[in-house]
Amino acid sequence: MWRYARRRLLQLVPSLLLITMMVFALMHAIPGDPARMMVGAGEALDEAQLAVVRREYNLDRPVVIQYGLWLGRVLSGDLGRSAVSQRRVSEELRLRAGVTFQLGLFAWLIGALIAIPAGIVSAVFRGRLPDTVATLVAVGAVALPGFWVGIMLILLFGVRLGWLPTQGYVALAENPLDSLRHMLLPAIALGITSAALVMRQMRSALLEVLEQDYIRTARAKGLARWPVVLGHAVRNAFLPVITVMGLEIGRIFAGSVVVETLFGIPGMGRLMVQAVFQHDFAIVQGSVLVIATAVLAVNFATDMLYAVIDPRIRYDT
Amino acid sequence: MANSNAFRRRTLVKSAVLGAGSTVLLARHGRAAADKPQYGGKLRVAYQLAPGALDPVVGRSGGDAYYWRQFCDQLVDADPALKPRAETSLAESWDVSDPKSVTLKLRKGVLFHDGTPFDAAAVKFNIERLLDPATKATPRAAFTAVESVEAVDEHLVRFRLKRPWGSVLSTLADRGGAMNSPTAVKALGADYAFKPVSTGPFKVAEFVSGSHVRFVRNEKYWGRDGDGNPLPYLDEIVMNIMADPTVQVSALKAGDTDLVYLPVRDVGGFLDNPKYNVETFQGGGVVFTLSFNQAKPPMDNQNLRLAVAHAINPEAIVKAVHFGRAIVAKGGMWPTGSWAYDPTVARPSYNVAKAKALLAAGGKPGGFEMDALMWPSEVNTPTAEIVRAQLGAIGIKLNLKVAEVTVATEKFYYGQEAPLFLTSWSRYPEPDWNASLIYRSDGYYNAGKVKNAALDALIDEGAATVDLEKRKVIYRKVDEIVLGEALMVPEIYGITYAAAAKHVMGLDQVFGWDAKMYLHRMWLKKV
Repeated sequence: MWRYARRRLLQLVPSLLLITMMVFALMHAIPGDPARMMVGAGEALDEAQLAVVRREYNLDRPVVIQYGLWLGRVLSGDLGRSAVSQRRVSEELRLRAGVTFQLGLFAWLIGALIAIPAGIVSAVFRGRLPDTVATLVAVGAVALPGFWVGIMLILLFGVRLGWLPTQGYVALAENPLDSLRHMLLPAIALGITSAALVMRQMRSALLEVLEQDYIRTARAKGLARWPVVLGHAVRNAFLPVITVMGLEIGRIFAGSVVVETLFGIPGMGRLMVQAVFQHDFAIVQGSVLVIATAVLAVNFATDMLYAVIDPRIRYDT
Repeated sequence: MANSNAFRRRTLVKSAVLGAGSTVLLARHGRAAADKPQYGGKLRVAYQLAPGALDPVVGRSGGDAYYWRQFCDQLVDADPALKPRAETSLAESWDVSDPKSVTLKLRKGVLFHDGTPFDAAAVKFNIERLLDPATKATPRAAFTAVESVEAVDEHLVRFRLKRPWGSVLSTLADRGGAMNSPTAVKALGADYAFKPVSTGPFKVAEFVSGSHVRFVRNEKYWGRDGDGNPLPYLDEIVMNIMADPTVQVSALKAGDTDLVYLPVRDVGGFLDNPKYNVETFQGGGVVFTLSFNQAKPPMDNQNLRLAVAHAINPEAIVKAVHFGRAIVAKGGMWPTGSWAYDPTVARPSYNVAKAKALLAAGGKPGGFEMDALMWPSEVNTPTAEIVRAQLGAIGIKLNLKVAEVTVATEKFYYGQEAPLFLTSWSRYPEPDWNASLIYRSDGYYNAGKVKNAALDALIDEGAATVDLEKRKVIYRKVDEIVLGEALMVPEIYGITYAAAAKHVMGLDQVFGWDAKMYLHRMWLKKV
């Protein structure tokens, strides 16, 4: 198992390199002079000033060299400075990444808390009313775009009922209760699609397990339905669910871009989108590095969890 | 009897409504005796764009002004019509009579937020800093007339000029006229961009990237209101970044914010709502303009450019896209409210018959096909579709090329990729800024760089003239050429709306000459 873990960890390095290379190439593939694009649409810098911009960000050198220089600096712990705000990228990411991780985790938990019980009920009552209702809700949730759900939540709970704040972010350390109040609506908006997908996965995996011989045997020996479902079936059905939940982390990051914008949450998703529009290369590269690392780490953890959940898997080959 | 009661009730209701109306009028057009400003409190403002950098000269986004206006003063401040206003300026008086120099007499007793004195040496430092290419200062191009800066004595500063500088006073009312503390600039280096130290009524207390900027009262501020009371009134301002206008409006309704810009579609609901005040600014930008590349066929043909301009009916766009809350452009690129605005100038207005005649005169009686660049937004996308239909009606087939705003701008003005650009323009009431940048043959925003000697000469004359009346005549001639030859044809001017909760006072003074928010004199009525 440890050998496998070590090998998987080593595989992360080329993946990360490849991702940063691709993003670097894509950013430079945007048509137009990067120095002029960095300067922005509304105001014009003259040639003398543009020359300073090009020199400062190495834009006057070939893209391959630019990437090499960037990588060299990153390996020595320097992610550079934002071309727009002039802040250090590491400082910007330190402030923003925690916010997005908190939101993502919260959304993921909300998704799991809704999805797993709903999936179990749906499978157990297959074809009956609870299953139909849960399926309909799930299909609806997958179909609805996150920004629309977000606006509806704001209008209902923020404007109409006035129960929850519509905007902003409070750090968990500053005021835990207020922080959760601010996070609840965005986390629901973000987590609801994920809940629907996980619920469908839970349902189909559980259905498959419930048809296995050992379940019939357990019931035949006189065990009640729920102990059999919860004690024997669910754990075995969990493997594909864990896979989906792991993959959902990546999707939640993607969704955070929209939800953060909607709820005014100063997270990394918003930072990155803005940086793409402003052609702020250092910020784009830095945030991609952090998000890619996080997603790869979750994938790695998911793989390792398989072994914990299913004793048959020990990865010794 | 019953009837008379009903009549009385109606009359009472009517007078109550009138009463409410007159309160609104008072709130907008002057203060009643009871409305003496109260000190204290925190104003929460929602705004769409995050600041790029807070340092006024280094920031590159037009949206930065919403932030730096609150903590900066101007060397020469201006009223909403961009007329210089000495009583709110860092310079008490100025002398622009010599074409070779500009002399400013500085206000005494002004301190930067870090306690260092604001003096002639500080002005010299600031202007030299923005002229240095290494600073990458956004307003550098506007200061190229400056040869050198001289601190004559502690409170007298003189700019030596390479050429006469007609727009000097307007230019000092913008970014480049905001003063940064030399001590702080030197001490902080690159970090100064987000930790600015200036002279204004508020100080930056906190800038949480992507979330908000918090300002606190500058206790040592020099400014006084009309009754001699110290400014500002507010203890604190929090400007929250809310990217979505729908969300901003929801936040105002939910009580999570006090002051927002109002999207035109929401204006109706707020005007009728007694819980809010609404303030408007006419001509808060050119929300739709045709920008032509005169070097690129078929728009190198003046008749065909004019045909395009005559085929567009801005009235229909104002109704369909702006809910009637925008102004059909009657002048050029300096909109209503600018001293240079002249609605009597002849311009290519909507006239299908004339458009068809011009097509024939241009050698394309049956119409033609061409590309037009645009960038998508809630307003631009439907506008471009309407334009395409209107041009289609006279046989011009428009292929819309869509790109994100920075890319589209770069493609059109630098890459020369299309003969027409459907775009919008910020409010620039000082005509020289637009004339030098858009119309001059070497201007950055003159896509075709086609030489027009008569126009260049007028622009140079305008740039070198100080007297406003003389300048007005010059810029009318500029408009006549630009609109007459269809170089850039603004179609619609915007109206900017701000809405605030009822307890927010001073809304009548919220808009500056650039239609941006100035919160210097706002106060909160305790309820």
